[in-house]
This record gives sequence, C-alpha cells and structure tokens, in this order.
Amino acid sequence: MRGVENALGITIPDNARIIRNLIAGIQYVQDHVIHFYHLHALDWVDIVSALQADPAGTAKLAQSISDWPNSSVSYFKGVHAKLKGFVDAGQLGPFSNAYWGHPAYKLPPEANLMAVAHYLEALEWQREVIKIHAILGAKNPHAQTYLVGGMSIPVDPNSQNALNAGSIATMSALAKQAHDFVAKVYIPDLLAVASFYKEWAGYGGGVGNFLSYGEFPNDNISNTDNLWLPRGIILNKDLSTVHPVDQAKVSEYVTHSWYEYPGGDGKSKHPWDGVTDHKYTGPNPPYEWLNTDGKYSWLKAPRYDDQAMEVGPLARMLVAYASGHERVQAVVNLVLQKLGVGPAALFSTLGRVAARGVETLLTAEMLPVWLGDLAANMKRGDLKIHDGEMWEPSNWPKTAQGYGWHEAPRGALGHWIKIENRKIANYQCVVPGTWNGSPRDGNGQRGPYEQALLDTPVADPEQPVEILRTVHSFDPCMACAVHVVDSKRRKITRVRVL
Amino acid sequence: MAKIAIDPVTRIEGHLRIEAQVEGGRVVDAWSASTMFRGIERILLGRDPREAWAFTQRI
Repeated sequence: MRGVENALGITIPDNARIIRNLIAGIQYVQDHVIHFYHLHALDWVDIVSALQADPAGTAKLAQSISDWPNSSVSYFKGVHAKLKGFVDAGQLGPFSNAYWGHPAYKLPPEANLMAVAHYLEALEWQREVIKIHAILGAKNPHAQTYLVGGMSIPVDPNSQNALNAGSIATMSALAKQAHDFVAKVYIPDLLAVASFYKEWAGYGGGVGNFLSYGEFPNDNISNTDNLWLPRGIILNKDLSTVHPVDQAKVSEYVTHSWYEYPGGDGKSKHPWDGVTDHKYTGPNPPYEWLNTDGKYSWLKAPRYDDQAMEVGPLARMLVAYASGHERVQAVVNLVLQKLGVGPAALFSTLGRVAARGVETLLTAEMLPVWLGDLAANMKRGDLKIHDGEMWEPSNWPKTAQGYGWHEAPRGALGHWIKIENRKIANYQCVVPGTWNGSPRDGNGQRGPYEQALLDTPVADPEQPVEILRTVHSFDPCMACAVHVVDSKRRKITRVRVL
Repeated sequence: MAKIAIDPVTRIEGHLRIEAQVEGGRVVDAWSASTMFRGIERILLGRDPREAWAFTQRI
C-alpha cells in the first residue's frame, strides 16, 4: 500500500491513518501473545513437569505476582485435571513433540502449571480481542478493507452500515480486555519465567546491528519524525547513537541463495533493481546435509550498508530506547530492574523475549488512544476515509517508482515498486523473516539467526532445545506462505546427529 | 563434535531448517535455510499496482 502510495504521491486521510494504526496495533498484541504462549513458551515450560505441581502452590505463586482473578486453588486443580486427561488419553495435541524432561528446563512444577493454565487462557483471549481487526478489516487474517489512497470502510456515526459510535464502544471494550490480559498475565508470567533463566541474557546476542523503519504515524506518514515508534539504526550494540535510515543502502545478496542475478551472484542489488530468478542447485530430498559452502537457502541475504541487521520488537525497542522514547525507557528500565540486570542484557535471547513483552504492553496502551482519535474525528464531522484523486490510472505518470515501509509484528518490512505504463514493472519485498533468517552474504557474513546461535550451549545434541530457544526468540516467519501449500499439516521435527 | 539438522523447525510460520556444528557442548557454527520458494515478486509483474497489497499481505 505504502509503496504504491509513495510512488504515486498519495496522502491518505487521517481516519485511514488511524484505522491502519489500529489494525496493525491489535495485530502486534495478538501476535506477540500467541508467540509467547503458543510458539515459544514450550521451550521454557515443561508441560509434563506441570503434572507434578501442587495446585495450591500454583495458586499461591499466581496470587503473589498478579491480581488476575483466575488464580484460585480450584481453578488450577481444574487445569491440572484437564492436562492429566490429555496425558492419560495419550492425546498431548499441541504439547506433543517437545523435549520434556530435558535438564535445561528450570521452572518448578508449580510455575509450569501456571504457564499451562495461561497457555489455554490465551487461546480463548486471542480469539476475542482480534475482533478489533475483524471489525476494521472485515476479517482476520488478511484485512480486506485496504485501498490505495486510504481505506474502504465507511466512517459515519449516523449509519448502521459504517463505523459508528457503537463500533467504537465495542472496540474499546475489546481493547480493555486486550490490555488487562497483557498487564496482568503476560507481563507477570514473562518476568516470572525470565527470573529462572537469567543465564539466557548471556546467550543469543547475534549481529548487534538493529534496524527499525518506525511505525504508527502520529500524522501524515511523510513526516517521518512523528512516528510513535521511531525510525533508526543501532550499530554494534552502541545505544549512544541512533543512525538515520537511508533506503538507498538496502540491498540483497543471492551468493548463498537459490537465485541467480544477471551479471553474477557476487554483488548485491538494490530492491528497485532486484531480480527474483530462482535456480535450485541444492540436493534432491530426502537429503542429509545442505551444501552450506555454496547456495543453501530460498532466502536472499538483505544487508544495510553491507551489514546484517536484526529486525523485530528488540530492534524497535532499542531504537526507541536510544532515541529517548520516554514510555519505552520507563518500561524497559522497570523490566531490567525487576530482573536485576543491566541494559547489556537486552542483547540476548532473553532480551528479545523481554522486548516483545514490553512492546505488547505499550501497544495495548495505545489502542484506546487511537480509538479516541477516531471518535474525535467523527464527532468533528471528519468522515473522510479515502483520497480518490490518483485512483484512475489515467492520472498517473508514465513511469513512477516508490517504496513503502512498515513495521510488521516481526520487524522491518519494505516494499519497493517500479510502475511502467500503469503496470508493475518490478516489485521486491524485503521482509522481516528474510532479514533475520538470512543466509551468508557475498562477504561471508552470517545472518542474525546464524550469528545468534554461536556459543549457544547444547547439553544433548539429540535434543537441541537450546537452539530452538534462540531461533524461536526471533519469532521466525519464513515468508513463504503463498497459501497453496498445506502449511497446517502436522510434521515431526527431525533431528539428525552426525 | 556433532552436526545437527533441525528440519523443519516447528512452532513458527513457514519452513525453516537449521544446521549447526556443536563442539564441546557449544554451537560453533550455524546455517539458516528456508526450504520453500516464495515467488510473490514474480506473480506481481505486469499486474495493476492497486491490487498489489492483496497479494503481498498474504506473505
């Protein structure tokens, strides 16, 4: 959207800006909570150990860290019985296929039971709060109400068929529900779990360079100094300087990727000149090993000024922290203080997990603010939602190019577009999963996952839960979901040891 | 010394393979590989720019 609007010089109306902020905002909150409980927690929480828990002990623990109402002895007895039912029936479901009993699991049984309870509660919660996305986007996932030039959802307090006072009230209640769970369950759980795993503040540091495009414009997006989360770059873990972001310095290598560039694979290409010519040269499956000296991934290797960059919540929080964002500094400092660690601990697997929690809380705090802005515009009679001046291709120049940036939940996402004769002549997406999951580049530099894994302890190579901890801390999204493949098919993780 | 392959890494979105070299209980080298082609960029060539978002949001 933003790439096309940038190429055609379109400014979207204020209501469209606010609605886009709200859609992205609730997506952050839902995605991050799902990541913590459903994608990442089982690297830290031993489900089988939870069976040994005394529900009274779990109730005592839960009540000591939060005033969340679901914390009675009988409540946790019920969760314990439910879990025991899964295990006794041999139907572990989502809890199957993990390294239960691994010595790297450190939580006492009572804490494990608390986490299981909240894993289940979070499933119910996320289904409710994402209704904000469905109200504004017509469905979830994949909002359908975007439109080049604004949004296609009408805003009108006097219409039943538009966003009106009733929808604002519904969304306000959902935003409160979202914030309550984050503040009273997610954050206390994060702090409780992290306190048992402080050594992970010493692992998983990675490349030490962080890129944030900035997100949630407070006004016209071309005013890049007025983003709620600021734009910037941190180099070599140095929080004393935030560098500006220059789109001309983004480029992608295919030296170790299954693509070929006209003119050779040793040099990188800027996305406007990017090429996606696939050429698979890897082994035929099933195979034992990839040829990692040559090409070994479908991901290109994005670089900024020839350096690998980590993107995501940690990058955003570090850039905001170093830029003097007061609320980010306050909450990050509070988390560091509660864990008894200094800012250097942020550059780690644990730091990545903590930053995601901080960002979730702060984003949940912003939802009512944006809803209030939308309601105020409606009250003033500002109902504009779309600027159609450049809708007709006959109004476009013969050629145009642009780029659009967004901070997706998982990190910096950029689209570069060239338009010729009113059609797309080139389009390149440089997405968070590609930045973080990048293979080596033309200079042999590792990508962020690869670098972060160095020095990770592995107690048992047959059960490498420690590797999963660091990889999962990035919230991998391999950006391959063209949705014609059966991505939901259950798979067994295969581990090979040589 | 052990070489490990985790493929696929589960509890993520998409398809990821990690190879790692382990020595003395520590990872000494690692490789991250996506095992599926995306191709959205090729799908978009020649299309109306106004519909690009509907394709790219499904990445």
